[in-house]
Amino acid sequence: MMYGAKRIAKYLLGSDIAGRQIAVRPDDTFIVSYPRSGNTWTRFLIANLLFAGQPISFANIERLIPDAEAQSSRYMKRVPSPRVIKSHQYFDHRYPKVLYITRDPRDVAVSYYNFSRKYRHIADDYLLEQYVHGFVTGTLLSSAWGTWAENVGTWVAARNGQPTFLLLRYEDLIADTQTELAKVARFFGVEASPAALSRAIENSSADHLRELEKKEGGQWVTTKNKRSDIPFIGSAAVGKWKSVLPGASIEEIESAWGNTMAQLGYELVTRKEVAVETQLAASTVHRELGQ
Amino acid sequence: MFDDDTFIVSFPKSGNTWTRFLIAHLLHPEEPATFGNIDRLIPESEGLTRSQFARIPRPRVMKSHEYFDARLQKVIYIVRDPRDVAVSQFHFSRKRRRIADDYSIEQFVTRFVAGETCDYGSWGENVASWLVTRQNSSDFLLLRYEDMVARTDAELTRVASFLGVPATPDLIAQSVERCSADQMRKLEGTKATASVTKNTRQDIPFVRAAGSGGWKTSLPEKSVVELETAWAPLMTWLGYEPALVKTGTASETRIQAFAPGAPVR
Repeated sequence: MMYGAKRIAKYLLGSDIAGRQIAVRPDDTFIVSYPRSGNTWTRFLIANLLFAGQPISFANIERLIPDAEAQSSRYMKRVPSPRVIKSHQYFDHRYPKVLYITRDPRDVAVSYYNFSRKYRHIADDYLLEQYVHGFVTGTLLSSAWGTWAENVGTWVAARNGQPTFLLLRYEDLIADTQTELAKVARFFGVEASPAALSRAIENSSADHLRELEKKEGGQWVTTKNKRSDIPFIGSAAVGKWKSVLPGASIEEIESAWGNTMAQLGYELVTRKEVAVETQLAASTVHRELGQ
Repeated sequence: MFDDDTFIVSFPKSGNTWTRFLIAHLLHPEEPATFGNIDRLIPESEGLTRSQFARIPRPRVMKSHEYFDARLQKVIYIVRDPRDVAVSQFHFSRKRRRIADDYSIEQFVTRFVAGETCDYGSWGENVASWLVTRQNSSDFLLLRYEDMVARTDAELTRVASFLGVPATPDLIAQSVERCSADQMRKLEGTKATASVTKNTRQDIPFVRAAGSGGWKTSLPEKSVVELETAWAPLMTWLGYEPALVKTGTASETRIQAFAPGAPVR
């Protein structure tokens, strides 16, 4: 806990991390996702679309699309409007316009596990199974952003279907980047020719980002002073969990979040979907009894 | 925050104060709740400094209007028909001098739907954010204001068992009686010093009609359509039948309950 004098001093100086307390402007657009869901890739894609004149790298991404989880309040204040901001927060009603990226939580768990080793939050011999348990119950560090289902669920339940909300699946973004990025361009009101889209995609490829990370990872706020033997840019793969996750972990994730997963199109392998019906039925029982 | 904290959460003007009084009587039958002591018995979590917060004896029961907050572990969530909420908040905004007397209810409802009439998100955002995250949790109790009005004893008994408070039928009956709308209005008349009523117009009461369905006579058709267009699936799911906007069958709204307004995919 960092309450007390140090925190207050940071607040007064504006050097506190913006995070959930960020001062929102009416013309802000947020790129939101749970961690390890393709946010950085999407950030690069968008930066390459919006700032097509310059090469995008880890050296300038924080200036162009700053990370509210890593930058100070004072820094965020100096970013000129209209801002495009990266965030991992669960639903915040002040965010006026949101692009939300969701990813299969089974893949998120695998990716997060490697990330936590990179950040030295867990030892190398920490069991994946144990990690997944913490991931599902929200007792890991990630709980600052709610659990995966809380993060996705609150945004989708509150905003989906509104013109100021765009829901993207990481898997679709991988499978057909061109089509999905065209949606993003429309969402931002940017005219993007097929050639411009292709260029942005090429400049944001996993291979290219990995190269950039090797060169600039030591300076980037997110990877500075972290283990360099585990890359921040992961395998950028879909379905890795199938070969990596123990059966018990798959079951744990699916039994906790199966409904949300099913509704987002992530097929369950350890149970049938449509438990939604029982779920809703259970909470309508008392109502029917009474009327 | 502690593991044994319980929060009474609702969108504003959904029966939170009444529920707060009812629970205060359950927990402290020896000290009848008034607008003078309610902020001590069941404090408003948003109105406290950190040190005041730390001094409340545990287990703490507190009031909140926040939309989903991951830190809140045990939650009693009260929901009310948004058409009645809109009417109630309209009067409350006049009481607090947030809007002038000639401000029309049509204008107000448009801003209400957009979530601009208070700091707690829109009605739909607030309700949906809690339901989607917690509706299956054993630490979450969903109450409908309308059920509370229709059969207060039965609903309060559910609250007592959720809180783990041994409550005899006598204690329940006594609490209900002490918190009738008439009693509450009397209390408001004698001691209107609680944070909810301080510095507000005295000619508009805080404890108002305390009914359900008042919107049918006081909401213009245009406003009803606006409210129902925004939230019909969620309303249907909660048992608030839209009157002017058609929705699908229960099974169609099943998916939409997850994402009010549109199917997810």
